[in-house]
Amino acid sequence: MTREVSAELLVLRKRAATWILLGIWTLLGVFFAYVVPYALDPEDSPGGLEQFFPESLAGTLLAGFPFFGGVFALMLGVFALGSEYGWGTLKTLFTQRPGRVRVLGAKLAALAIVLVPFVLTLFAAGAVASYVIAQIEDAPVNWPSAWLLVRAIAAGWLILAAWAALGVLLGVLTRGTSLAIGVGILYALVIEGLLSAFADSVSVLEPLTNVFLRANGYSIATALGALPQEIESNGPGSFSGPFVDSLQALAMLAAFIAGFAALAALLLRRRDVA
Amino acid sequence: MNGPGDLVIETRALTKRYGDSILAVDDLDLRVRRGEVYGFLGPNGAGKTTTLRMLLGLVRPTSGRVAVLGGPPGAPQGLARIGAMVEAPAFYPYLSGRDNLVVLARYAGVEEERVEAVLDEVRLLDRAADRSATYSQGMKQRLGVAAALLKDPELLILDEPTNGLDPAGMAEMRDFIRSLGKGGRTVMLSSHLMGEVEQVTDRVGVIRDGSLVAEGTVGELRGRAVLRVRAEPRAQAADLIRALPDVDEVISVDGLLDVTVDTSQAPAINRLLVEAGIAVSELYAQQDSLENVFLELTRSGEETS
Repeated sequence: MTREVSAELLVLRKRAATWILLGIWTLLGVFFAYVVPYALDPEDSPGGLEQFFPESLAGTLLAGFPFFGGVFALMLGVFALGSEYGWGTLKTLFTQRPGRVRVLGAKLAALAIVLVPFVLTLFAAGAVASYVIAQIEDAPVNWPSAWLLVRAIAAGWLILAAWAALGVLLGVLTRGTSLAIGVGILYALVIEGLLSAFADSVSVLEPLTNVFLRANGYSIATALGALPQEIESNGPGSFSGPFVDSLQALAMLAAFIAGFAALAALLLRRRDVA
Repeated sequence: MNGPGDLVIETRALTKRYGDSILAVDDLDLRVRRGEVYGFLGPNGAGKTTTLRMLLGLVRPTSGRVAVLGGPPGAPQGLARIGAMVEAPAFYPYLSGRDNLVVLARYAGVEEERVEAVLDEVRLLDRAADRSATYSQGMKQRLGVAAALLKDPELLILDEPTNGLDPAGMAEMRDFIRSLGKGGRTVMLSSHLMGEVEQVTDRVGVIRDGSLVAEGTVGELRGRAVLRVRAEPRAQAADLIRALPDVDEVISVDGLLDVTVDTSQAPAINRLLVEAGIAVSELYAQQDSLENVFLELTRSGEETS
């Protein structure tokens, strides 16, 4: 399996889209977590000025993962499988030695590895931004504990991985990229977004929204320091709860990853490759 | 006579149906023997590519049985011994030719040194570092063949390998395929180009509307040659020739006599007619071209459908 994963890492590493997404994700992540709110009115932001200091790094950055980061991860997942249909390379891979499920396994493993630098780069850029703001404000530079940072990075990875797995499934389902990205964004914005917004007033929706990627992602983020008030004012990714238990959220996200991967494997195994 | 162990590909009543209306492959019985170059001929849409996809496990048959190298199609053990290029070769456009092959080598479990060897074999070493998107059609075809050769396969399946090539490229590819067929490797070559198949293959199967309508060597498909004679008076010439012991049949066609006889008898027939005072203005051997046979086989399909 190592050789197949290294093949997929080569495919992802040399692909411009991977680097473009990484660049945009990092820039926009820092822009919306630090630059814009700090430039507008930092005192009025839900967490006050402290939100922009290094101590709040984990929570401030994680608030952007469940929706904004999710869309980027979704695109990565879609590209990983959907593009193969467009180029016709899936049939080339399927006529090599490993079986179809093994090919999918290699792609998922490579994707999981590529998500690590996505999380780390944003945390590094966020750390720089928070340090600069602390210097500007003449505030003490207190970094979060290493344990909190490790948990936050792992949580960020898990949230992105769930969305990436959804992207892989949609890429296989639609055998392409455009429709898969369209459906994915539609799901994130309309299905999860609108239903979550209505869940406050329509109690019957609450159990349903509790299983959404958004609810579980934000539940983990808040457990690690993200502010609910900040999440509530998160534009198209806003979420006002209810939040679920963080262990339940972890289990749910892991189940999503396994479920999306299993469904994608089932489809790949059963369907003809034209 | 070939035993079952000598069959590299064997299909029985292989059928592929898409929905209720499209019957792509219909009850196909195919046998490809070890070590031969087998030409799979058929017009566009006859079911060649669908058949090849089923042999590779890319497409599931609706019914029937397939055995490739003794196992089910698409099984990892079998795929490890098969090299294939189905339809247009497909590669990652942003990767170089070399990197594309490295990816495939890793998937195939082949040592990466093999990449340089196959690039050299298809004469792509000088462009190996360029993105495959910048390759000409001919170079893409060659890269496709290189990919198929990576595993040094026992069975090579090539679907229209000369598609998009200029005449020089086609001739080069034909020579290449001929050389691949030497040394015990089995090659299944799908094509609709008669010249390509005629020059390269040991045996040919002709598929029409998803069914095998003819199979044999090129010589067998083209049939026995006849001697064509233009002589006057024609009736007297026909009587004389017919009286010869080895002549099977003499028929008159468009002012000529078609004589079914071993073509080595031509000098004897010529001498016989001239000594009898018959003026012989033409005498030559005539055999159906593979193209004519193919058109005849496929046209009759159109007429009956």
